[in-house]
Amino acid sequence: MRNLLFNLMISLLSGIFICLILFPLFALFTATSWNELAGHFKSPLIISAVIISLQTSLTVVLAALVLGVPVAYLLAMKNFPGKEILDTLVDLPICMPPLVSGLGLLILLGGESKFGAFLSNRGVDLIFSKPGIIMAQLFVAGPFLIKSARQAFEAINENITKASSSLGASEFHTFRKVLLPLARNGIYAGMVMTWARALGEFGATSMVAGCIPGRTETMTLAIFGHAMSGEVGSSIAIALLLIVFSFTSLLVFKSRIRKQISHA
Amino acid sequence: MDIVLSQISKSYHSRPVLEDLNLEVSPGEFHVLLGPSGGGKTTLVSIIAGLTKPDMGSVLIRGRDVSRLPPGKRETGLVFQDSTLFPHLDVFDNIAYGLRVRKHGKAKIAQKLKSYLEKTGLEKEQHKFPHQLSGGQKQRVALLRTLVTEPEILLLDEPMSSLDALTKEQMGRELETIQQETGITMVYVTHNQEEAFTLGDRVSVLHDGKIEQIESPEELFYHPKTEFVARFVGIKNILKGYVTATSRDEAEVKVENKGLHKPFKLRVKKYPLLEKGTKIDFCIHPDKISLQKENAHDGMLPNRLPGKILHLTNHGFTVKATVEIGGALWYATLPQNHPDFKAREKIWACFSLDAPHPLCGRNFRAPDGCRRCQQ
Repeated sequence: MRNLLFNLMISLLSGIFICLILFPLFALFTATSWNELAGHFKSPLIISAVIISLQTSLTVVLAALVLGVPVAYLLAMKNFPGKEILDTLVDLPICMPPLVSGLGLLILLGGESKFGAFLSNRGVDLIFSKPGIIMAQLFVAGPFLIKSARQAFEAINENITKASSSLGASEFHTFRKVLLPLARNGIYAGMVMTWARALGEFGATSMVAGCIPGRTETMTLAIFGHAMSGEVGSSIAIALLLIVFSFTSLLVFKSRIRKQISHA
Repeated sequence: MDIVLSQISKSYHSRPVLEDLNLEVSPGEFHVLLGPSGGGKTTLVSIIAGLTKPDMGSVLIRGRDVSRLPPGKRETGLVFQDSTLFPHLDVFDNIAYGLRVRKHGKAKIAQKLKSYLEKTGLEKEQHKFPHQLSGGQKQRVALLRTLVTEPEILLLDEPMSSLDALTKEQMGRELETIQQETGITMVYVTHNQEEAFTLGDRVSVLHDGKIEQIESPEELFYHPKTEFVARFVGIKNILKGYVTATSRDEAEVKVENKGLHKPFKLRVKKYPLLEKGTKIDFCIHPDKISLQKENAHDGMLPNRLPGKILHLTNHGFTVKATVEIGGALWYATLPQNHPDFKAREKIWACFSLDAPHPLCGRNFRAPDGCRRCQQ
C-alpha cells in the first residue's frame, strides 16, 4: 500500500513537471496554422536570422572545443595553486545573468575601453558584428562544454593514465590516444549543450550585437524583435524552428550515446 | 643489484607514507612487498616505476640512477591491481600500445604479437574488447601488454587481488614460468601472505612506511622479528613477559599479557639476549602447539598449560583450534589425525622449549626438530 502511494506521488509530481514543459510547447504549436508557418519560413529576415544563428552557434561550438577541452583537462588532471579559483571562474558565466555578461563584454570591446580602442585602431570591430555575437555566446555557453568534458576526464580510472605512462607514452600521446577517445561522449554532450545554449542565447548577444536585421539578428533576437513589433506569427515560426533544432539534436545525441552504452 | 632504493621518503598531505626506506633486489629475484592496505606498497612500486616522485631518496635500476627519469625511460613495466586495459582498444591494440609508443613498425608488431598471443593462448581473443573478457583474461592481457615491451624489471601491483582462487593459481604458475624462462626481476605487491609465500624468493613486510623484515618466505613464516610481522603472517599467539631466571640451555619467562587471570611461567630456549630481568615478547607458531587430553600425563614436557577448547574448524588437512588458557586466547593448528577433540573440552596445551620465538627485531633461528611434545 505504501509503495502504491509512493509511486502515485512520484507519478503525480513528475506529471506536473512534464505538463510545465509540454503546455507551453503545445500552445506554440497550436497558435498558428501550417500554411501560415510555411509563409513565414520563406521570409528573408527569418531565413537570415536562422543562418546567422547557425553560423555563430556552430562557430561557438568549435571555439569552445578548441579552447574548452584544454581547460577541462587542466582542471581534471592537474593540481596547481589557484585551481579552485580557476574552477569557480570557469563556472561563473553559468550563474551570471547574461545581461551582466553582455554588459561586461560591451564595456571591454567598446571603443571607450583601452582594449576596444586597441582593436578598433587595427580595424577590428567586435561590437554589433558577428564576431561580437560569437564572443557573447562563447562567454555564456562555453562553460557547459568545459564542465561536461571535465567530468568525462575525471571519470577515467587514474590507473589507465598511469598504465599508458608506464608503457612509455608521453603525456600528449596519452591525451591523444587514451584520454580523448575515452572522454569522447562527455565532450560530445558538452558540444550539444553548448550549441543549444548558444543557439538560445539572448541577453549577452543583444547587449553586444544589438539587433540589426540581416546582420546581427539571431533567431532569439528575431523572436523578441518580432514579438515586440506585434508580428507574433513570425516569432512563433522562429520559436518552433528553435524547438525543433534543439529537440532533434538532443534526441540524436541521446540515442547515439544509448547505442554506445548498450554496445559496451 | 637490479634495484637499489636508498632512503626513500614520501608524504601525502604531511602524512608520511614511506620513511627512510632502503631495499635491494637481486637480478632475477621474485621479490614480494607484503603488507596491509595503506602500508605504502603501491606508493613504493609507483616510485620504482617513476609514476610517483619521492620526497627524498634515490632509485637505481641496474646501477643507473633513474630517480629523475620519466616512466618510459626506466625500462620497468607495471601491471596494476584493477584492469587498466584501454577500454576503447581491442586485445591486439592494447598489447601493441607500448610497441607503437616505441615506434615499432606494423610488421614487427604483428610478428611479435603473433608469437606472444600463441604462447599465451590469447590468439582467439585478440579482436575482443576488454569488456568481453573475463577478469583472468584481462589481467593476462595486461601482463602481456607489459611483457611485450621487454622491460628489465616487472612490477606487479596486486595483479591477482580480484581473481578467483583457480585463476589466481593459474596466473601464479604463469608468472613463475615467465620468470624461469626470461629471468626477469619481479617486484610483486600483495596483502595476501599466501600469495607472498607461494611466489616470492624473498618477502619484504611493509608496515607504516617502513620495511619491518626482509626474508625468505620460510624464515618469515617461522622466525618473524616483530609482533606486527608475526601477526601478519598469521601467528596470533603473542606472549609478553620478562625473564625471571636463566641457566645454560634454557630461560624462565614470566608471561603477563593483558587479560590473563594471573601471570604464568614458561620455559624457553636460552637465546643470548635473554638475561634475568629482560623484557621480551615471544610468538608461538600455531603448529608448534600440541593439545593433550585432560587426563593425559607426560612428565617430559617442558611447557604444559591447562586450558579449554572454544572452537574447532576443519581446514582439510588440518584442524584449527581456538583455546582459552588463563583468560587469554591461543591458537593451535592440529593434524587431521589428531585425537578426537570437542569444543568446550578441557585440555593441556603443550610446546617445546624452542617453540616460543623471541620478537626482538633480530633473527633467532630455532632448530627444526623437536617442534612438538610427545603424545
